[in-house]
Amino acid sequence: MLRQLPSNRWTYELAAHLLNRAGFGGAPREIEELRALGLEGAVARLVDDEQLPDPTPDPDWAARDPGRLERLRQVRQAGPEERRRLQREERERQRDRMIELRGWWLGRMASGPRPLREKLTLFWHGHFATSIEKVREARLMWRQNDLFRRLGMGRWEELLIEAGKDPAMLIWLDQARSRKEHPNENFAREVMELFALGEGHYTEKDITEGARALTGWAYDGVAQEFVERPNWHDRGVKMILGKSGNFNGEEFLGLVIAQPQAARFITGKLWNYFAGAPPSASLNAALAETFRQAGNHFRPLLRTLFLSEEFYAPDVVRAQVKSPVQWLVGSVRVLERPLPPPPTCYALTRNLGQDLFAPPNVKGWDGGLSWITTNNLLSRYNEAATLVQGARAAREPDRGRAARWLGGVEPERLFTEAERQNGAALSEALQRRLLQGRLRPKNEAVLLEFIGLGKPDEARILAAIRLVMSTPEYQLT
Amino acid sequence: MNEQPGFHTRREFIRRTVLGGALTWTVPGFLANTFAALQREAENGRRTATGRDSRILVVLQMAGGNDGINTLVPFASDHYRRARPRLALPESGVLRLNDDVALHAGLAGFKDLYDAGQLAILQGVGYPNPNRSHFRSTEIWQTAAEANKFEHYGWLGRYFDNTCAGADPTVGITVGRQMPQAFSAQNPCGVTVDNPRNYRFLPAKGAGKTQIAETEDSYRKLNTVEKESENSGGSIGAIAGAGPMAGSPLDFLERTALDAQVSSDRIRSLAAGGENHGDYPPSSLANSLKLLARLIGGGMTTRVYYVSQGGYDTHTNQLAAQERLLRDLGDSIRAFLADLRAQGNEERVLIMTFSEFGRRVAENASGGTDHGAAAPMFIAGGGALRAGLHGAYPSLAPADLFQGDIKYSTDFRAVYATILERWLRTGSEPILGRKFPLLDFLPASA
Repeated sequence: MLRQLPSNRWTYELAAHLLNRAGFGGAPREIEELRALGLEGAVARLVDDEQLPDPTPDPDWAARDPGRLERLRQVRQAGPEERRRLQREERERQRDRMIELRGWWLGRMASGPRPLREKLTLFWHGHFATSIEKVREARLMWRQNDLFRRLGMGRWEELLIEAGKDPAMLIWLDQARSRKEHPNENFAREVMELFALGEGHYTEKDITEGARALTGWAYDGVAQEFVERPNWHDRGVKMILGKSGNFNGEEFLGLVIAQPQAARFITGKLWNYFAGAPPSASLNAALAETFRQAGNHFRPLLRTLFLSEEFYAPDVVRAQVKSPVQWLVGSVRVLERPLPPPPTCYALTRNLGQDLFAPPNVKGWDGGLSWITTNNLLSRYNEAATLVQGARAAREPDRGRAARWLGGVEPERLFTEAERQNGAALSEALQRRLLQGRLRPKNEAVLLEFIGLGKPDEARILAAIRLVMSTPEYQLT
Repeated sequence: MNEQPGFHTRREFIRRTVLGGALTWTVPGFLANTFAALQREAENGRRTATGRDSRILVVLQMAGGNDGINTLVPFASDHYRRARPRLALPESGVLRLNDDVALHAGLAGFKDLYDAGQLAILQGVGYPNPNRSHFRSTEIWQTAAEANKFEHYGWLGRYFDNTCAGADPTVGITVGRQMPQAFSAQNPCGVTVDNPRNYRFLPAKGAGKTQIAETEDSYRKLNTVEKESENSGGSIGAIAGAGPMAGSPLDFLERTALDAQVSSDRIRSLAAGGENHGDYPPSSLANSLKLLARLIGGGMTTRVYYVSQGGYDTHTNQLAAQERLLRDLGDSIRAFLADLRAQGNEERVLIMTFSEFGRRVAENASGGTDHGAAAPMFIAGGGALRAGLHGAYPSLAPADLFQGDIKYSTDFRAVYATILERWLRTGSEPILGRKFPLLDFLPASA
């Protein structure tokens, strides 16, 4: 069973660990605030996040897009040349909205009041791994994102069913086109393999039977809504996971979630996401038990997880490779600088190997060490210069506007007068702010040598920040 | 190996910093392993398998599961036309190889290579108990594991482990952002390059010359090996303890950082220097192959290159999508081989394509096909290649199918074994875990 971390072990470093993993980290002042709340208070601040108002407005095309049907009508009625022009315009509109949407979400992560909510939304995005490459409509991607945000801390079965009926998912895994004559197995397969059970806990037969149960779940492209089409549904008896019956889609997903393996699978994956490595078999069993006792609700599971001694073990702290999104959002937070404009954020995260709303395949991002290749590592070191020392910003969606200069950071916001006067003090402050830990002694010596013992000028302070970000140590959280 | 200033290889780096001078540096665990391998190598008199004139393997992944049946088309088969009322390709459009099979019309590039004796087509390649999941099946192809066994390391990673210990990290190069699981190894080797121009530590905008030089210098120090304290005569065992825990994320990061450093100058200069001669299409696959051609032409000692082309998961509207992909594939490879011919390197390079699975014989209701099993593989280039059709086309008769899929006739691991033994000239058994029959698309004396 999971034991709670004794309160006398709660420190600045562990508060930083909690904020890094349950959110995207923060400046020393924010970490200090969490430390002062004590372990339980700090965890409650993150987990019971509905107490904090979240006033971020949605993109203005997100909830409704009244011009859409008219645009579709125009495309249908246009001659070939006009149609191509309209279709190109539509592609550009969607591309620009996607850039805006990515910026909007990164903004919520970087400065929204509910960091855990966004961190969990990112988990679900990687878990259900739906890509704009196939869905092709920004509004549907926003809608799925909003679903993860609303239901991500709730009950597993509800989330899975709603994710299955989500328009982006219906398109992504071809459920929208599945009918009893030709059941499409894609969604049923991924439910078993990637969403709920994992390889080896079902048969090929379970998949084909599950696909039959799901027939009739369809998509109304005009209304952009889920629709149940009784004529497409296979009403026959199915044999799924050892049970036989006249199952429909919801019953099929219910059967899957009821498997003991389902609790092990999802709690193990959540632990891996937050703690950085898969749990041992006994820890996984304890997590699954906690989850079952909580009626398969995620919020109590997360509370237990973030309070547990295991989560603060030495081999867990500062041992997770930052994802590119964690790297970017975490960096702007510790640098206390605004996010770059959306087009720059888009280019940057792609460059580092994580394109939000376009995971590489239905398995999502592998994460962990796979974020790091020689190429991506050099890109991180170079993007550090973009954030710290400034760069030319990527072009805005309306291509008329001239390229802008993207500002770097302001050292006087980050370091006290005393720290900016003295190399040794600056080195300490840099490590406390950027690593919430220490460089290895050899690298600490290199950093000190670079800064020098006297008063560094501003350019040198900026270069020193970039150098700390250009170490193996900074890539861990 | 040409001797230019700078540390080009991990081995060279160690020689100069550890073996060369008085031991003023210690090295972390991974370098100690390399160091031990160097010693072994010296004792055995074995040469590391890299070199400017060595043979090169290019692995090309067709990601998503290519429909092999509409790639190598059994155009004369009634079963084919019955199973695919909408997707069967018209007999008039396909590129006939004989009275039974033809290439997809988009594969004119392959047809040219076939006619020129530079393309071997291996029919019906797959494995027992086929898995229809993209990830699991990709993993099976990448690791060469049995379908019911999980293998951590990749088949090329095991090749590196077995024959390239202590080699230049550029012994394997992936073009793209992610390293494929095929490269995963006990002592990971290989670099990943996306855009060669940015494959370096770039100076900050607006910084002065002195500061740029000092920053670069510090970057190099921050991303190399532990500076030693006092025990300069320490044994290798003691040295191994100095770095972060072997296998830890920090250890991995440190190694990758060093690999990035030692490979960046070299790859950049070669990529910028060479020229391409070949009629490449404007595609990302072609760009990857253009980069490979420049690296090969520039004398890179890389043995294995890995490139991929995605988009083959054609559950819906397959006809147009597959046509576009195959045209790109055939045209790109034809141009690549022409480019290598102009360099005089054509004979050294063998290209192998694979896809995680073929697709179901029967079309689905969405103008596409679902995940299937066996499919053809294409082997191109390589002076020694025995061009032509190899193996038998699997039967499409409903009675011969297994759960709607054609049955494989050639195990893909026999293809790997043949390439390892007859192209890369290394024993296949230690890499693949057991013996596989060798195939005749490469002659025994190749």
